Amino acid sequence: MTLQDLLFSLQKFWAARGCVIHQPYDLEVGAGTFHPATFLRVLGPEPWRSAYVQPCRRPTDGRYGDNPNRLQHYYQYQVILKPAPADVQDLYVESLRTVGINPKQHDIRFVQDDWESPTLGAWGLGWEVRLDGMEITQFTYFQEVGGIELNPVSAEITYGTERIAMYLQGMENVYDLVWAEGVTYGDLHHEDEVQFSKYNFERADVAALRSSFAAYEAEGKALAAEGLVLPAYDCCMKTSHLFNVLDARGALSVAERTGFIARVRALARLCAEGYIQTREAQGFPLLHRSRAVKSVGV
Amino acid sequence: MSRRTPSRRATPRANPRSQELLFEIGTEELPSQFIPSALSDVRDRALHLLKDARISHGEPKTLGTPRRLTLVVPDLADFQEPLATEAMGPSKAVAFDAQGQPTRAATGFAASHGLAVAALEVRTTPKGEYLFAVKREAGRKTSALLPDLLQNLLGQLSFPKAMRWNASGVRFARPIRWLVAVHERKPIRFSYAGITGNDRTYGHRFLSSNKALRVTDFKIYVKSLLSAGVVADPEQRRSMIVGQLERLAKKRRARLVRDEALLEQAVYTVEMPYALAGEFDRRYLVLPKEVLMTAMKEHQGYFSLLAEDGALLPVFITVTNMAAAQESSIRAGNERVLAARLADAKFFFDEDRKRALVDRVEQLKGIVFHQKLGTVYDKVQRMIKITAVLAPSLIIPHDHDRVLKCSRASLLCKADLTTGMVREFPDLQGVLGGIYARYDDEDEEVSDAISEHYLPKSAEDSLPISFAGRIVSIADRLDTVTSFFAVRLVPSGSQDPYALRRHAYAVIRILLEAGLSLDLRQLIEVALQVVKEQGIPTDEDADQKLYYFFVERLRYYLSVVCQIPEDLIDAVLSFSQDNPFNPVDLRHRAEALQIFKERAEFVSLLIGYKRAVNITKKEKYYDDNVMEGLLKEDAERKLYYSLQETENRVSSSLQERKYHEVLETLVSLKEPIDNFFDAVMVMVEDEAIRKNRLALLTKVRKLFRRYCDFSVISEPIPPGKLVGV
Repeated sequence: MTLQDLLFSLQKFWAARGCVIHQPYDLEVGAGTFHPATFLRVLGPEPWRSAYVQPCRRPTDGRYGDNPNRLQHYYQYQVILKPAPADVQDLYVESLRTVGINPKQHDIRFVQDDWESPTLGAWGLGWEVRLDGMEITQFTYFQEVGGIELNPVSAEITYGTERIAMYLQGMENVYDLVWAEGVTYGDLHHEDEVQFSKYNFERADVAALRSSFAAYEAEGKALAAEGLVLPAYDCCMKTSHLFNVLDARGALSVAERTGFIARVRALARLCAEGYIQTREAQGFPLLHRSRAVKSVGV
Repeated sequence: MSRRTPSRRATPRANPRSQELLFEIGTEELPSQFIPSALSDVRDRALHLLKDARISHGEPKTLGTPRRLTLVVPDLADFQEPLATEAMGPSKAVAFDAQGQPTRAATGFAASHGLAVAALEVRTTPKGEYLFAVKREAGRKTSALLPDLLQNLLGQLSFPKAMRWNASGVRFARPIRWLVAVHERKPIRFSYAGITGNDRTYGHRFLSSNKALRVTDFKIYVKSLLSAGVVADPEQRRSMIVGQLERLAKKRRARLVRDEALLEQAVYTVEMPYALAGEFDRRYLVLPKEVLMTAMKEHQGYFSLLAEDGALLPVFITVTNMAAAQESSIRAGNERVLAARLADAKFFFDEDRKRALVDRVEQLKGIVFHQKLGTVYDKVQRMIKITAVLAPSLIIPHDHDRVLKCSRASLLCKADLTTGMVREFPDLQGVLGGIYARYDDEDEEVSDAISEHYLPKSAEDSLPISFAGRIVSIADRLDTVTSFFAVRLVPSGSQDPYALRRHAYAVIRILLEAGLSLDLRQLIEVALQVVKEQGIPTDEDADQKLYYFFVERLRYYLSVVCQIPEDLIDAVLSFSQDNPFNPVDLRHRAEALQIFKERAEFVSLLIGYKRAVNITKKEKYYDDNVMEGLLKEDAERKLYYSLQETENRVSSSLQERKYHEVLETLVSLKEPIDNFFDAVMVMVEDEAIRKNRLALLTKVRKLFRRYCDFSVISEPIPPGKLVGV
């Protein structure tokens, strides 16, 4: 199965289970959780189901294209089910069958993992799912996001698409993965890894990053105060990514690091609170259209 | 065979119905480390609730897997025990008037218990005839009580970390998905967290068809689960795993590295254990054994094997959740994961070794120890200075080389924090430093000290073995505790974020268990001075606070580990307030006291001593200058000469730390002291004589005070004298 076929299968599988198939968000993010379809939609009482591919950037994980397993840019497949259905684990296992992993022939384990995102003020409990010892999915019941306790609780399923594809294709090196017939992952992304590793670790202009961070932070706060929470949240995502680059660049001391994380979190919190207020003012529109999820159900 | 013998029929037959309670909490995969404590919690709380509900029962048992917590209680009584409560009211004479009519005392008493006067009972008591209100509550049917009981039980369970998952808002370690509750073979109807109790359980996630299994009693439950791929009993899984591990080891003529924590984790992460061996590339064997074993254990939970000569084999064993159809692909998958981890480890190891530890010390300037206390580099500088005082004070006779080793180890002990390997495997801090030090051709003892300086990691953990390791461990912790106190970051209540209590206790343990005799007060002063020298503003009272902080840790050790009675501990700790605070010495003093306290004459000595103390304290008399010419009575002269003689003996015994001898000498003063108090009046008119006698008693007090503070020792009850019954 090519990597793109894997993505198609997941899209079809989750679309058939009532998920809105979103497109990736068009800003740099560290995880699919940052996408407004997750971060904002899990807030408040409205039901929501969505799934999407999200390219993620983790500057510190770059290895100049030399390491067969580590990338500073990779693809998550993200699913949000709100409220979390009682059979969510079964749904997940079924999705594995769909992509060609027969659970009776493998050792599939739900291994405890307490998830926390200090920048998003979010935490949840769940598992990392291991397939024959390899972590392929992060499975979390969100408890809090933006410092706000969630009700209802959402289930988040995050597939590591490269890992699963490597398994399915029996590849030892991520760059050898077949993305599409005749085109490898390396053809698409090796050069990105080389260049961005160089940028993240050596070339990024620390002073410029710092001032951008401050500018986006100020803008985000101002926008949130005016009730423009969506652009404010864009600013928040920007600060998060800028922080990640500064971190990779080795520009932050331990104490400073903690300070930056707290600043991103404060902005995330403003956005989360503002978003709930906005939805509330609109009378939580999706609350009364719950058929959108129900009728398409499993 | 169906005919019963008459004798059997005559005995009360056991109830043919199952009087068993079967209860299972079906969950999504629970964190393995929560399960054993959750099971004992379920059991304890069930016992409590049954007791409160007055339901008698047999011995409960628990079983558990990642997906279920199970309780079975046999032989539940059909009914709860009846309850009889009685209250005594007014006397009959008061309760009824001359006509035999109830008075207001009677009606009021009856009403307060919700009874009619006619229902009250008259009983004869030793005080006469009295009214009694007796209420009998018949026991309710057990089956009617169980729904509430189980609901309460579930509500009482708690976990270190819990979550919500549905609209019920209930918190549990992971979502509850089903509840089995069966009594007398029938489901108990109740609900919790939006789930209704039933007689349906579910088998293994992948080995069974996911169809509900109907269970009517414990035997059927265990059997049905087994056929659905679940070994419910953890002990059974444990012995299966051990057997499988041993077999795999034997096949390779290897020895399994027994690791109880790892075994426990395996037991509680699978429902149907199946151990599987895989291999890794031999070229990774160049990595230190500790690194390989940690890489296997920490992330993957793999067991390691040793060859007969103790060398690590390029083999791992993983315990999987079932014997799957494609063993080879499971093996290959696990091998691939481990290979990636070892490749990372090898990369870090090779990178790390490009620079010697000693060249990494400078890099510690980039790692913050604490905002107010500077970087780890600053900490290391402080440790070196503490070591420079500490090591020579314990190395007697002086040995310059050994002192140098200690200071070298202090310099290098934190350098491994800058290595890639420690960032990857933080648990290996210290151990890796030791390994790298050997590669750098550092001295053997220096390398050992680096490996061991984080020991002991807990109150029960073993101490560093090397002398330098002990010195560095003390210097490290003393600096941590002292520096945090200096900047007023002290533990309060249950808040001890920097584990200062643990560090201080470790210092006490090392000093006592290694017999390192020194004045801890002086060392604290040194450590504080070193903090000040770095320009860190410090709390003026830190020295006193630190003294009391360490005193409390020493008190705990003497009491819990040495089993010394509190008053004797007080006696030596009070002594240490104005004498050297030397834990080893104080312990010896207390232990000698403990032995001596058993002796009969010790008691009267104590009484005499206390009289001397009380009288001089009361008169606020502290001068011990006795004029020989003013000694009038025989008894006081005797005491004086005895004192003069014993003072010298006490001094030399103290010098040699022969505490038994000191006490022996002090006890010899019993008679002169007793005689003094019998024959001599202290508070006489003549001021000169009075003062002279007070001075004599002050001499007694001062002499005793050189051993410990005897005034806080409680007098033991003399043998043979009974205390009030």
